[in-house]
Amino acid sequence: MGSVGLTLPWEHRISPVAREGTFRVQPAEREAQGNPAGRTPEDAALAAACRAGDLHAYERLYRLQGARMRNLARNLLGTHSDAEDAVQETFLKVQRSISTFRGQSSFVTWTFRILVNTCHDLRRSRTRRKEFVPDEREDAAMPAEPRAPGGHPSLKLALERAIATLTQQQRSVFLLYEVEGFHHAEIAAMLEITETASKNTLFQAKKNLRQTLEAPRSSQAGGA
Amino acid sequence: MQIKCEDRERIFRDGSAEQWAGLELHAASCLACAKELQAWKSLSVAAQELRDDQESPALWPRIESALAQQAQQSALHKPWLERLSFWRSAPSVWQTALAGALVLLLALTAGYLYVHRHPAPGPTETYNPLLRDSKVAEVERAERDYMQAIDKLAAEAKPQIDTPDSPLMANYREKLVMLDGAIDELRMHAGQNPSNAHLRYQLLSMYQEKQATLQEVLETKP
Repeated sequence: MGSVGLTLPWEHRISPVAREGTFRVQPAEREAQGNPAGRTPEDAALAAACRAGDLHAYERLYRLQGARMRNLARNLLGTHSDAEDAVQETFLKVQRSISTFRGQSSFVTWTFRILVNTCHDLRRSRTRRKEFVPDEREDAAMPAEPRAPGGHPSLKLALERAIATLTQQQRSVFLLYEVEGFHHAEIAAMLEITETASKNTLFQAKKNLRQTLEAPRSSQAGGA
Repeated sequence: MQIKCEDRERIFRDGSAEQWAGLELHAASCLACAKELQAWKSLSVAAQELRDDQESPALWPRIESALAQQAQQSALHKPWLERLSFWRSAPSVWQTALAGALVLLLALTAGYLYVHRHPAPGPTETYNPLLRDSKVAEVERAERDYMQAIDKLAAEAKPQIDTPDSPLMANYREKLVMLDGAIDELRMHAGQNPSNAHLRYQLLSMYQEKQATLQEVLETKP
């Protein structure tokens, strides 16, 4: 991110040009396009092929959604290694339980629901493994925040740390909506909540993130 | 659409496209809302920094291998009921026909087995601790004959037993007294439960023991 300015407020360190096809500000933008539930004939065909045990169908699912799955898992778990384990485990779970998929949601949504649950399980088990380490905090899995002398941390790391302070539900909704580009109907199906709850959770998550991200600057200004 | 400052949070939470456009318009003339709107949008833009498009070429081969292994294992351990799961996708007419055929087959098999069933084994073919009346009479008759034969044997050995001339003979006498006592007791119980074959077998073994003892006594005759 070339436009990061260490002396500017956090929102000014953001590149004014978003990545192509990924920029998302107004919630109504995406809902207006296509099938909001994601149940397309292609999705159904993919589910049917996976149910039939066709490994090429799983490969197609990976080509279509693998990057997004890896990315979400990495943001939920903190490391590439854990993320890859979670994605692999998700594919195995999909294969094991594909016969129970009834098509109430899209196949992709169902797969992401499994992924999110797998990530939460991994996170919990990792926390249990480390519970004897003194002063262990939930966000300790995130990489240490490198600071330039007298300056701000990089935006990405600051955001990762801020996200780690959110509740599990807020973190999931924020990442699914703002980073992965799912809309509220899909997130609601993934997390087994209502669309309204998804919207409210996102709102609260963003409010909390703003507070967290603004805090260091105000304290720094106060100290100067 | 007329938007006010107090509408801002509601729009952030669940605003329509039209309301967002109205808020943009309002922010052009409201510094506080412009700042809030900018910060809100910035979070969405900043979130894109969390997208990591780094390739992981080794991951799919790893997953593919694990999927193939799991498929192989599940094929080996598939329950027989699941192997019939292809019928779930068959038309309901065929499913009904199959179910009907299975019921018919089951009924025919049950009918055949009922008609051609083997008769229950008779009492003579199995060990039955309770003997029937006719069998009891037969056993008692044989027992009487056996007792008479043993009594003849006892009469022959009586002189030696009554006047034992050696410690061995005294032991034989003692044993015979004990056997007679046991025989009397068993006969009393057998009289109360004439159909109890177990008692009859015990009585028979006592008689056999008495017979063997008497034979030994006679064999030690000087």
